[in-house]
Amino acid sequence: MAMRTTAGWALVVLGVLVALAGGAAMVVLGPDSRFTTGPHAIETDDIAVVTAPDVIGWADVQVDLLAEVPVRKPIFVGIGNAVDVQDFVGRTQRLEVTGFQRPWDVDTREAGGTPNLPGAPTALDWWIDSSAGLGGASISTQLPDETISIAILSVGSSNLSGLEVTLAYGVKGGFGKGAAALLLGLGLVVLGLAVRRARPWDEEEPDDEDAVVLAAAEVEEEVVYVYVDDDGVEHEISAEEAAELQEVVEVVEVVEVEEVVEVAEPGPRPEVEPAGPADEDAAAEAEEEVVYVYVDDEGVEHEVNEDELAEFEIVDEEDRP
Amino acid sequence: MRRWVLVAACSIALSGCAVPHARDDTRPAKTAAQEAEITQVFQRYREVRASAVELLDPKPLSTVETGAMLQIDSGSFEVAQRLATKGQDATGPVEVVDVETPRFGKYPLWFYAVVRDAAQDVKRVQIFERASSVDPWLLTASPETLADTALPDLRHRGGAAVTVAPDDGVGLSMSAQEAAAAYAAVLSDPEAPESGEVADDSFIQQMRSTATTNAALPDVRFSQTWQAEDVRYALRTADGGALAFVTLTREDTYAVKEGLTVTWPEGSPQQAFLSSGIAGSGRLTYNHQVLLYLPGGTEKPRALGQYGGVVSGDTSAAPAR
Repeated sequence: MAMRTTAGWALVVLGVLVALAGGAAMVVLGPDSRFTTGPHAIETDDIAVVTAPDVIGWADVQVDLLAEVPVRKPIFVGIGNAVDVQDFVGRTQRLEVTGFQRPWDVDTREAGGTPNLPGAPTALDWWIDSSAGLGGASISTQLPDETISIAILSVGSSNLSGLEVTLAYGVKGGFGKGAAALLLGLGLVVLGLAVRRARPWDEEEPDDEDAVVLAAAEVEEEVVYVYVDDDGVEHEISAEEAAELQEVVEVVEVVEVEEVVEVAEPGPRPEVEPAGPADEDAAAEAEEEVVYVYVDDEGVEHEVNEDELAEFEIVDEEDRP
Repeated sequence: MRRWVLVAACSIALSGCAVPHARDDTRPAKTAAQEAEITQVFQRYREVRASAVELLDPKPLSTVETGAMLQIDSGSFEVAQRLATKGQDATGPVEVVDVETPRFGKYPLWFYAVVRDAAQDVKRVQIFERASSVDPWLLTASPETLADTALPDLRHRGGAAVTVAPDDGVGLSMSAQEAAAAYAAVLSDPEAPESGEVADDSFIQQMRSTATTNAALPDVRFSQTWQAEDVRYALRTADGGALAFVTLTREDTYAVKEGLTVTWPEGSPQQAFLSSGIAGSGRLTYNHQVLLYLPGGTEKPRALGQYGGVVSGDTSAAPAR
């Protein structure tokens, strides 16, 4: 009993914690499952802004990035494996983001190089996600489980002066997952309460859904032998005593020891098979053969057949003197 | 009870999938290529090569091959052009029997493939390289072995083939770069001190036989030199050894006595490059790509296959004295 109570309380506490966590996730992330910050201005006249390989150390985070530049300058935003991105911009003058703290606190450094990119970023096939546009470009992707860099690049002869960045990050389907955690927590609470109030498991009755499929219970018949004395009083006696008395007085009762509770899935029904020849022989043997006997005046018995019976008076053996 | 367990399991599964997590290792690393990309690389190579063979023009090959590989193939195409024959046609159906993709922290990226050419009864052990993030995948090495030559199993770590630095001789009789130099030295001079360090394999014997035949020409001074280029591709084998791709440059120099001319048989590559033969002095340059196996331990390096040919030929009027 004490163990059940402890387990019930543990489930309740766990359920409350899980429910609170799920609810908190729903509140923080909101229905769009993400946290948004920006737009934030980034001061640079370079043609590339790139995150260093060790800045983004998370995986499976949903990231939405919007980069905007004034006067409809062409701009490119891409996310790729750090090996690819660093090789692409490694010899280009750029602003490198060397640190990032939420919600928006970035560390940067200037990296020297040529004032142009080695090729058009839109022509490359290794971007995990990329987008280009006039005046702005955005990507929306889930961070892969590999070291990655994000690059904001100027396309053509312009630069990134006037760059503003809006960042959103969260968990894809996070609101739904929070709701799932909330439901799970509530379920645990209900389960914990149920465990506390439940009867001991060894007394638990099987409910409908957990019904055990019962086989047809066998009905055992018990024969009760009764002796009725001269005063009409019944006395129960054993079979052995009845045999000694050589007299079965009466079968007074057939007791059903166990009733059939339920047969959820009846088993194969036994088939009734016609009795074979052996059974017929046994039945024939069971019939008592009648022998007619004529007793003459001297007391000698003579066997007669049925046709001769009309000549004699029939006297039952029990009626014989 | 089962109903509650099911609800709990579903909720946990729903809330647990793709949970954002911090990555422990943020060092840049990338598997050279994925399966889909490799399929595209092979498909593009086959298409371009088929086009080059159809046009009998080696120029398209420069978009899918580079380095010594391109030089050797361009030479063979030049021979085919001059002799007006289709030449060596490697555009028949081939079977890619193995692909190994190492992981790299920076460019160049490369991967290893074994291709079986049933028509020519050979296996080609190929290296495709992407020199930088803006370059395409190019075939850089393709030594051929007999179809029944057993290639050593490669060692893997984290699902990727393990590379060996060319100057790393740990666990080997010598490093891959030292083996390449020793191999070239033995080819140049059978009596070189390195002759005891490399196996006297069939390639060495074949090249030595050719050199002996050329040197036996009357009134002709013949010399042959071999140079090993820097080893760029080496993989660790399962036995602790290494499989190295070695490019060798061979120069055959002829100095012919005045009044004589050295000519080659009609249809030979040498005749295609030096159609009027060598009167005075002349030189033929060959490239050979050798697949060198360095067994683990102290066994001598030996060649498993090679692919080579004439890449240039020039003559000077100055007669030999």
